[in-house]
Amino acid sequence: MAMEIVYRVKRFDGEKSYYQEYSIPYEKDRTILWGLIKIRDEIDPTLSFRSACRSAICGSCAIRVNSNALLACKTSLDKQLALYQTNILTLEPLANFPVIRDLVVDWENKFKHMTEVKPWLIGEKDCPGGTGYYRQSPDEFLEISNPTDCILCGCCVSECTQHTNLRDEFYEPFIFTKSWRFTADSRDNSPKAHLLPVLNEGGLWKCVRCQQCITKCPKGVRPADHISRLRCSSMNYGFTDNLGTRHAQAFAEYIQKTGRLNEVTLPLKTEGIFRTLKRIPFALRLLRKGKLRPLYFPSPIQGIEGIRKIYNRLRKEEKK
Amino acid sequence: MLTYDVVIVGGGGAGMRAALEAARDKSLQVAVFSKTYPTRSHTGAAQGGINGAFAFKDPTDSIEKHFKDTVKGSDFLGDQNAIDFFVNECPECILELERMGVPFSRDEFGRIAQRPFGGASSPRTCYSADKTGHVILHTLYEQCLKHGVKFYNEWFLLELVVDKGRFQGLIVQNMHDGCIHPVNTKSVVIATGGFGRIYWNRTTNALNMTGDGTAACFNAGIPLKDPEFVQFHPTGLAGTGILMSEASRGEGGYLINKNGERFMSRYAPEKMELGPRDLVSRAIETEIREGRGVGGNGNFYVLLDLRHLGKKKILERLPQIRELAIDFENLDPIEHPIPIRPSCHYMMGGIHVSDHTTCSTPVPGIHAAGECACVSIHGANRLGGNSLADVIVFGKAAGKGACLSAKELSSGAEPILLKRTAYWEEKFRTMREKGHGLKVAEVRDRLAATMWNNVGIFRTEKEMEKALSEVEELLQEYNSCYIGDSSTKYNSAFIQYVETGNLLNLAKAVALAAIARKESRGCHARDDYPTRDDANFLKHSTVTKIGDEYKLSYIPVTITKYQPEERRY
Ligand SMILES: Cc1cc2nc3c(=O)[nH]c(=O)nc-3n(C[C@H](O)[C@H](O)[C@H](O)COP(=O)(O)OP(=O)(O)OC[C@H]3O[C@@H](n4cnc5c(N)ncnc54)[C@H](O)[C@@H]3O)c2cc1C
Ligand code: FES
Repeated sequence: MAMEIVYRVKRFDGEKSYYQEYSIPYEKDRTILWGLIKIRDEIDPTLSFRSACRSAICGSCAIRVNSNALLACKTSLDKQLALYQTNILTLEPLANFPVIRDLVVDWENKFKHMTEVKPWLIGEKDCPGGTGYYRQSPDEFLEISNPTDCILCGCCVSECTQHTNLRDEFYEPFIFTKSWRFTADSRDNSPKAHLLPVLNEGGLWKCVRCQQCITKCPKGVRPADHISRLRCSSMNYGFTDNLGTRHAQAFAEYIQKTGRLNEVTLPLKTEGIFRTLKRIPFALRLLRKGKLRPLYFPSPIQGIEGIRKIYNRLRKEEKK
Repeated sequence: MLTYDVVIVGGGGAGMRAALEAARDKSLQVAVFSKTYPTRSHTGAAQGGINGAFAFKDPTDSIEKHFKDTVKGSDFLGDQNAIDFFVNECPECILELERMGVPFSRDEFGRIAQRPFGGASSPRTCYSADKTGHVILHTLYEQCLKHGVKFYNEWFLLELVVDKGRFQGLIVQNMHDGCIHPVNTKSVVIATGGFGRIYWNRTTNALNMTGDGTAACFNAGIPLKDPEFVQFHPTGLAGTGILMSEASRGEGGYLINKNGERFMSRYAPEKMELGPRDLVSRAIETEIREGRGVGGNGNFYVLLDLRHLGKKKILERLPQIRELAIDFENLDPIEHPIPIRPSCHYMMGGIHVSDHTTCSTPVPGIHAAGECACVSIHGANRLGGNSLADVIVFGKAAGKGACLSAKELSSGAEPILLKRTAYWEEKFRTMREKGHGLKVAEVRDRLAATMWNNVGIFRTEKEMEKALSEVEELLQEYNSCYIGDSSTKYNSAFIQYVETGNLLNLAKAVALAAIARKESRGCHARDDYPTRDDANFLKHSTVTKIGDEYKLSYIPVTITKYQPEERRY
């Protein structure tokens, strides 16, 4: 049976954008990129998209298919058709990037952000005078192995809920990964230099841990984990005078005490009395809808001893 | 007019290494033009590693052994003075990378880890799992950001302007808005990579490896050296040509034919799967020819078996290879052998470099480094891990060389640069307006078919003549191509049109030099002349383009301390 598949492509010519449908005959074991190339070679040479290595390493070909960012070269057409139970796929440029033409997006600004975290080794710790080489143990290498898998494809940027929401107040996820890559490098002599920009400019504590960056990364890189590690690092360096740290500490405190949160007093601990006052209208709305119990002071849950043991154990490990 | 002292064309390993070197001289204005964002360059696809004789893994290794391996690997066509320079520079250049921050895999002493590679008498290939090129490329980019190197990303080199033997500058197109600009510069480093795409789909190369810089030099009258030497990598995925790194053999993978036999025992009884690439590729094709290939329906291959390495080793040392096999062949190497077949991988030949210490070409001010250049250290066959090393060593030398040139030479003449700009503007306009003709992709596909079928792994006069006349026909037909895109913005159809033209010009030189070399040497394997003929062919071919004429001549090979002998593994 000669099945047709349809690529519904979001086009942009510099002024207007519109959707255009292309039908191509189905072939087994092909990739999304195969279809794009086929359209460009055989149907419409004006269709613009990027691709180079066609083996998931150069990061050129990231696009959105049915609103999910992916690498066109690595993604099986069959699997996408099966996933959506359809023969029509909608292809769009990555979100959160300016579009140049069709599926081609502009990266210049992202590289500027990247430069802010000083993505280079600040060193000379063990190789004085810039000769010889640094020793690094296989374990220390493993620490930076995952973050150095990043191919700068932009999938995480496109799908990050908080970057979509806050734009300039929250860095693109891969930039946290870059920052962590150097903060964690045993050879680096100035980890703070990579960490402070994400803390001050990048919105380190604003990540809502939705895990989209991890889910969407085609290379298994884990930006959200790197954000967590950066948060820990920042606290270890003593940068604790901020909402994020207080919030995290309050969380930890509650759980140790009772095994559950108290949402009435949590904002007080995190934000202090003045900011919390500002939240009163919101609290009243919650109250009206029955979402808040003002007089509720939770008693410890069953098995709280177990939780406290975990805490003690962690503290001991930390001291070591 | 854009004016610089030193311009680098190409943002891959060689280009960025050159840029870093040139940027050290603060008195010079330096810029990099690249048709992709630098981190998209094909250097990133290099998986296996980079050679340097540190003797970490094997205390008996030495610079001397690296020298001998490289000379022997080149089938004695490499220039020994250049190879000597190269092997001596490799270790320090790799340490520089390490100090820049390249995350190398480590041994238990915290030193850079090394693995065995084909054609090497000791394990000397430094690596970062199987993503060595990727981490080098990204580190170089980060270093360029650190040093404030000026990048023109997605700017395409159209032409090198040389007038009466004097370099004037270049003509480039900003792909984003289509504007064509002259660039006035005193010196240039061409670092635009290889041109494996003359075989279109039967290559491990990226879609845009079309040899634009090589073609620009060729058009500007600089000879192409040894273009007939095309390396076919033994282990491309059978379906797509995507590379399974040599690390897969280095780590102990087996090659198996349809009878389940490790057939390399017949071709390289000592080295087995770790024979050099040319030999292993021919062995695989011979197995297939003689009916011992797996598969059917004209689609034959052999199997790369990693299963005995075990899950742990595969996950630790070859994670990317595993992922590629899963994504592109739907097979997990932990459980299944992988179908593979040789694919075009690397161009030993390229822009004629006449002085390896500065990477200069016969035209003062024009330097070349990386895969686009032919120094020649790889001769008739490159060893795995020697190309990344080449890119770093000679990228650095070219950066230095270009600075020296910039101090000696004056700027180009603006009138001629403006004239050539006008020529390209006119060409871009007519191509955008042209409504019908031949499809560029069709010409490209026919070129690839004839090159694969007739100038492939095994070659004969008759077949190559056929290819030559077909390429000549295609060069004619190319004139009637149309691009079908009238936009000025990101007009990739126009770019592909120019790239295809470049491929045609280069393919013709490949065929021409291959026909004339009536011997078998390295990866140039002729059925009609099956042995090496040092008496007549221990020399470099050069092809020079004068107008539309191609002139073939030869220059001597430099032999210093290692006299040619039979090449056995
Ligand atoms: C799949 C694969 C795996 C490999 N693995 C290894 C390995 O393990 N070890 C090893 O030593 N070697 C390996 N090689 C070979 C090695 O990677 C390459 O030869 C080397 O990286 C080439 O580097 P380069 O800087 O010369 O070119 P590239 O990295 O290809 O860069 C070329 C640059 O030029 C730019 N450019 C091209 N044309 C134009 C134009 N018209 N205008 C402007 N800019 C232009 C491109 O955008 C790009 O930035 C491998 C090759 C392949 C294909
Ligand atoms: S084409 Fe390189 S990542 Fe897809």
